[in-house]
Amino acid sequence: ACRMNKDAQMRATINQKLIETGERERLKELLRAKLIECGWKDQLKAHCKDVIKEKGLEHVTVDDLVAEITPKGRALVPDSVKKELLQRIRTFLAQHASL
Amino acid sequence: LSVSLFQAKSCICHMCGAHLNRLHSCLYCVFFGCFTKKHIHEHAKTKRHNLAIDLLYGGIYCFMCQDYIYDKDMEQIAKEEQRKAWKLQAFTPTVVSHYQCTMTGIGEKYSTWEPTKRELELLRHNPKRRKITTNCTIGLRGLINLGNTCFMNCIVQALTHTPLLRDFFLSDRHKCEMQSPSSCLVCEMSTLFQEFYSGHRSPHIPYRLLHLVWTHARHLAGYEQQDAHEFLIAALDVLHRHCKGDDNGKKANNPNHCNCIIDQIFTGGLQSDVTCQVCHGVSTTIDPFWDISLDLPGSSTPFWPLSPGSDGSVVNGESHVSGTTTLTDCLRRFTRPEHLGSSAKIKCSGCHSYQESTKQLTMKKLPIVACFHLKRFEHSAKLRRKITTYVSFPLELDMTPFMASSKESRMNGQYQQPTDSLNNDNKYSLFAVVNHQGTLESGHYTSFIRQHKDQWFKCDDAIITKASIKDVLDSEGYLLFYHKQFLEYE
Repeated sequence: ACRMNKDAQMRATINQKLIETGERERLKELLRAKLIECGWKDQLKAHCKDVIKEKGLEHVTVDDLVAEITPKGRALVPDSVKKELLQRIRTFLAQHASL
Repeated sequence: LSVSLFQAKSCICHMCGAHLNRLHSCLYCVFFGCFTKKHIHEHAKTKRHNLAIDLLYGGIYCFMCQDYIYDKDMEQIAKEEQRKAWKLQAFTPTVVSHYQCTMTGIGEKYSTWEPTKRELELLRHNPKRRKITTNCTIGLRGLINLGNTCFMNCIVQALTHTPLLRDFFLSDRHKCEMQSPSSCLVCEMSTLFQEFYSGHRSPHIPYRLLHLVWTHARHLAGYEQQDAHEFLIAALDVLHRHCKGDDNGKKANNPNHCNCIIDQIFTGGLQSDVTCQVCHGVSTTIDPFWDISLDLPGSSTPFWPLSPGSDGSVVNGESHVSGTTTLTDCLRRFTRPEHLGSSAKIKCSGCHSYQESTKQLTMKKLPIVACFHLKRFEHSAKLRRKITTYVSFPLELDMTPFMASSKESRMNGQYQQPTDSLNNDNKYSLFAVVNHQGTLESGHYTSFIRQHKDQWFKCDDAIITKASIKDVLDSEGYLLFYHKQFLEYE
């Protein structure tokens, strides 16, 4: 139990640092650009349209869509994008070793 | 920095302290709650505050309807606030990252296109739509040979398949500045693009283009065979002049300040460093270029060794295997330090006298489209002949080793990075190849051009056929057109 708390605390600290330095915003923008570039956004958009067509525009809520596309979205992220983001985060952590 | 700190400390869920999880703000009181963990839902239920706003996208959620609702006025306000927020961010360098600045630079967030009233009208009056699928051949069209005009046809094929140029013309960005638009080569190019992307499959007859070229580039007039490279340079020059309405080259031409589409796409900067052998002072000049002309082995000027005491360093993943000359070999030779002999002493401003020196060329600024010209036609005093040595060229090219900045790092003793996969600035992709078959006096030009990501076609005047990547890479190569892989706004 003690170890798990430490992990959660570490996560919170890192997150805090990421936000404070503005790095979180930068990473988000980088991710956004990469996902558009590799066609991920278009793929999911198409999937959304399919879901709406299937369920009917009047009967579908944002939550329905989120539930439907989240697993697919997570699966479709290319490995190269994951790799690059991880590399950025590692570099950030290395630079802020005092954490 | 203060904004980020503020955000870090106060933009958290009032119940669990999380930053993430689709944070929403109550519209009735000061309360932030996560959506995913339903903390905002709890608040809405207990306080009967039924409206909340998504802090990330500005959507309004109604807890009674259990869905987001869309109100035109609110959306207008959201759009405006978002735009203002972005403008603010772009001007505070401490808050916004370098990455965001290179993305927008102009303080405008990217927003999807929406048609104006006029555009809606046009769209309604022209109901025909074209869907681009992977196999569609839009943009491919043969060109009739009007009498040894294959040299022109090849260049036209390369230009009409230059993505940025195509986008410029198909979005009607040219506003004619010429006194008489009928003599404007840029207008004619615009018409040419319309013809190529019209969907017509019959070959196009470029008689007007030919006539305009003859009018504005006299040295190319006549039905004799011409050099495709000369035509390319002449065409770019006329297009560049006509972009500014300069009819006869009389306007003061400052190449450093021109921002026409030709300069934006094709102009690079070539740095020339002359180092005095005595005081080691370096004199640097930077000249604009539209193409790089590369000497080949087999010409009267010796090709090997690439540079005095050259090493066998690995560049672009290929080490020099004796036998096949590569494009990279040619580029290494082009950027080698060259001893200017005792008969070519340069006046050194440090020594105040004529001294022996070495000269080296490197790329200061790379153009978006890099055109390499393999000097196959030798016109020296003694002989005129065609050099048919095969030069292998890659589909993907990294220009990093030939940059002025790389040279500086090498000279400062910095470890030369292996091709850095995260530095995408200098990566290029091949998109067109112009080939010449035959002899110096009599020959025929054909070209390969790339459609979509990996489909290649051979253009032989009016005949277009599908080609394989192998066909392209096995060809002799005379003019090689490469396009930057990643573009940034300036």
